[in-house]
Amino acid sequence: MTVFRTYLKVLKSCIVTVIMYTIILMVFGAFNMQTSDTSTNFVSSKPDVLIINSDDNNKITNNLISYIENNSNIIDIEKTQEKIDDALFYRDVNYIIYIPKNYSKHFLEGKNPKIEIKSTGDYQASLAEMMLTRYIKVANVYKDVVDTEEDLINKINDTLSKETEVEVTSKLDTAGLSKASFYYNFASYSMLAGCVYVICLILSSFKSEKIKKRTVISSMNYRKYNRDLFLSNSLFAIVLCVFYVLLSFILLGDIMFSLNGIMYILNLFIFTICALSIAFLIGNLVNNKNAINGIVNVIALGSSFLCGAFVPAQFLPDTVLKIAHILPTYYYINNNDIILKLETLSIENIKPIVINMLIMLMFTIVFVVITNIISKKKSKIG
Amino acid sequence: MFIHNFKYALKTLLKNKMLIFWTFAFPIILGTFFKMAFSNIEKNEKLDIIDIAIVNNSEFKENETFKKSFEKLSDENDDERVFNTKYVTEDEARKLLENEEISGYLIFNDTPKVIVTSSGINETVLKYVTEEILQSEELVKNVIEHKIKEQVKNGTIEFNSFDVFIENLQKEALEMLKDDNVNIENVSNKNLSYTMIEYYTLIAMACLYGGILGMVVINQNLPNMSNNGKRVAISPTSKGKVILSSVLASYITQLFGLFLLFIYTIFVLKVDYGNNLLYVILLALVGSLSGLSLGVFIASVFKTNENLKTGIVISITMFGCFLSGMMGVTMKYIVDKNIPILNKLNPASMITDGLYSLYYYDTLDRYYFNVVSLLVFSLILIGISIISLRRQKYDSI
Repeated sequence: MTVFRTYLKVLKSCIVTVIMYTIILMVFGAFNMQTSDTSTNFVSSKPDVLIINSDDNNKITNNLISYIENNSNIIDIEKTQEKIDDALFYRDVNYIIYIPKNYSKHFLEGKNPKIEIKSTGDYQASLAEMMLTRYIKVANVYKDVVDTEEDLINKINDTLSKETEVEVTSKLDTAGLSKASFYYNFASYSMLAGCVYVICLILSSFKSEKIKKRTVISSMNYRKYNRDLFLSNSLFAIVLCVFYVLLSFILLGDIMFSLNGIMYILNLFIFTICALSIAFLIGNLVNNKNAINGIVNVIALGSSFLCGAFVPAQFLPDTVLKIAHILPTYYYINNNDIILKLETLSIENIKPIVINMLIMLMFTIVFVVITNIISKKKSKIG
Repeated sequence: MFIHNFKYALKTLLKNKMLIFWTFAFPIILGTFFKMAFSNIEKNEKLDIIDIAIVNNSEFKENETFKKSFEKLSDENDDERVFNTKYVTEDEARKLLENEEISGYLIFNDTPKVIVTSSGINETVLKYVTEEILQSEELVKNVIEHKIKEQVKNGTIEFNSFDVFIENLQKEALEMLKDDNVNIENVSNKNLSYTMIEYYTLIAMACLYGGILGMVVINQNLPNMSNNGKRVAISPTSKGKVILSSVLASYITQLFGLFLLFIYTIFVLKVDYGNNLLYVILLALVGSLSGLSLGVFIASVFKTNENLKTGIVISITMFGCFLSGMMGVTMKYIVDKNIPILNKLNPASMITDGLYSLYYYDTLDRYYFNVVSLLVFSLILIGISIISLRRQKYDSI
């Protein structure tokens, strides 16, 4: 108990940092959870479009605007040049359409007036461009065929209203699950940073020369001392893990009660054990308290960036992912990505997950062995 | 005296490993992580060639329009290729979809039907294209109908060459449907890479972290902070000279670190700072000054221990960087749009925004606004620091 009590005392002094990592997790977890769309019917992706109309209020122009409006999200921002350009840069809008003065007049006269656009060049913008081109094409063709404006608009709308039937086969709630996946991916950062920071700081406190000398000459068996220290650290890591799991129940709700939810939890638990072993290894390597902060940041941020905890792994360059294979976090994140698509429980489906978990445990064993070799070499003090 | 103290202040700073790590190495390491994580994001946002399948049943084979259209859209030699199409049986298509080898497939039973696993951008494109072909079909039909009616009305129709007539009409209508007839001009700025903001916040962070250097040198000259300070306090030299030379030493150290960061980001990470390097250098000088003044301000105004002072500098820096988009570029836009005053007071955001306006805008108004804001920010903080530093007396320490 003596060790455990001391442990708690030191823990108190560095709990602020753990709380900070948790807050970061909550902020980013919640930040990513705003858009909720659990519909299993097909929903067309809608690009964010801004229309700047310099033409008069007349039918042809209005019809073009209403067609774009029906098929995209119209963004409402202050229409100054700077605000518009900012919105485009930060992807608040994907596509800006400038309808010139006298557009409909020139259009009806057959002048094929030019429309200026600004585009972010991403897929949303491509979609918006498809829409605009399609409309203009149809309008151009019908213009020569019909006599009145009214007729033209009817014909255009009639043709453009033809839709294709779409059937969605999967009934998996991917929106909810991807939130869970994001949360658990991010949790790897908080978990690793929290564990390494706390455990390193505590180990270095216990190892400071005066304390160590006092412990060595005390009557306490060193095995019991080591065991207590190990158990206290494990307890801390597990409490942190349970806490993050509880937090996920609060933030994510029902989705956590599914098979996927259980798998996420199990995966985090295995990762916690691995993080614990990493923390022990670093704690034994580093004695300088001031250096801990830097090391924690480099290790936790590094493995999170490299393995896809912040940016989804599918967006990472292949070379980065290859390097990431040497880090245990990669296997944890990989598992989360597999769990995201897990629909039924079967040996075939579970196999890759189990393999990843085994790899994480192998990492753990390797870290433990290295730690033991180092701590044995360092055990003598002058 | 000035040179003497300057030399020693410089030596103390450069020999402090922790300081050098946080101000020199950490931004470079973080920048490397950014590069690894973000370099592919924008590439992934471009529309890729979409893998789809079409069920090759008799109805599809009979539908010339669809067959030809998809052949063209899947043509490997075409620059505007949209799809990579496999022609398979229905069972195979279902299997391909299950294994996520395709985004969706198309099946014809009277009308075409698209089958997908979820809503998404690729799926939407498939739906759009199918619709567009349907609509074109209808368009051609309507046009032909109209032309025939017109001819009948005018009585000019010739039934001998009716087939040729229809064929010509069809060709004419399809010609009209070509993309060339659509008069759209893209006038957007070429510099649209929003991940650049991440690197700009990095520069902002390095500038403000430099404040820790300023803080350390001030602490060394404060009698209540260090023994060195006590020694300085009783020495018969001008305190102004000592402080000024120390602060200058930390400013130079900071600029050296920033120089390394710029070299690294420009040549290794290929960050684009726009075309005019002189403006970037001016911004870096002013930005570092704001970081320095922040450090000096915190060191001289807050009466607390060194760790807490460092904590304050780091928290302000990180929070400022968070608001200016380091942890998600959208954050900067959200703040700029909704609470603009917050980012007008935030030095990290002034630096980021200054670099952003050099990169994205052709005019310099916004850039100068940021530079002046940074200068005002620095002058205010330095002014307060001077007031609190001068004429200090201690009865006992």
